[in-house]
Amino acid sequence: MRIDSREKNGIIILDLQGKLMGGPDAESFKSAIYKLIENGHKKIVVNLHSIDWINSTGMGILISGYTTMRRNGGDLRLLHVSDKIRSILYVTKLNTIFKCFDNEDDAVASYEND
Amino acid sequence: MSGTVVIEFPSDYKFLNIVDLVCGEVVQNLCVGHQAANEIAISVIEACTNAIEHGNRECPDENVRIVFSCKSDRICVEVGDCGKGFDYECYLRNIPEPTDINHIRGRGIYIMKNMMDTLDFEMVPGKGMKVKLEKLLKHKENDGGRKD
Repeated sequence: MRIDSREKNGIIILDLQGKLMGGPDAESFKSAIYKLIENGHKKIVVNLHSIDWINSTGMGILISGYTTMRRNGGDLRLLHVSDKIRSILYVTKLNTIFKCFDNEDDAVASYEND
Repeated sequence: MSGTVVIEFPSDYKFLNIVDLVCGEVVQNLCVGHQAANEIAISVIEACTNAIEHGNRECPDENVRIVFSCKSDRICVEVGDCGKGFDYECYLRNIPEPTDINHIRGRGIYIMKNMMDTLDFEMVPGKGMKVKLEKLLKHKENDGGRKD
């Protein structure tokens, strides 16, 4: 899985590409999250537009990132959630945990409304 | 459409891409709705993930075998590994609450149980574990809503 990072209006957007299924993905995502926190970035949006598919292990990676951000006074929100990922979020009721957005500007703006 | 499709692959997560593709092709021929197709694919991927990680302990010399059996009113998928199995009856009685974010793992069986109509386990001594998934097929136009 590839992770690219960019900033928009003070919010970090992590663009993920590939498959989110555990293994080395966990460590690379974890490292990205901790690096952001070290640099003072605690409001992030994870863009899943280019994620082909995800399994429950991959969902665990997102949960881990979310809890880490929350523990450090921040948040992690999801952007461009596919039908498959949305199904997993719904069945596991994690849709009540993660804030999801279909539009990047809305995702970024959601932090302003906090 | 009815028939059987069998695939077998080493215990490496990179092969899950192929599983997803095969699953998509099999399900496409069943004329099920989009949601049902997603649920079948997600569940099969979960079963394969468990087979690789827990059943075969990520050992590339041990294979995962999937049998897709398509019948007129249902699809049956068996995912087999070479492992020693686990106490699935105990696990099914104690499935962790999926919204507990202190647990970053442990949602695979919950997902399968809720996305498929039937989830069974069969331990064959000396031959490994089989996870059996079944989903009743509904005509595409009548694809129902998600299960509560």
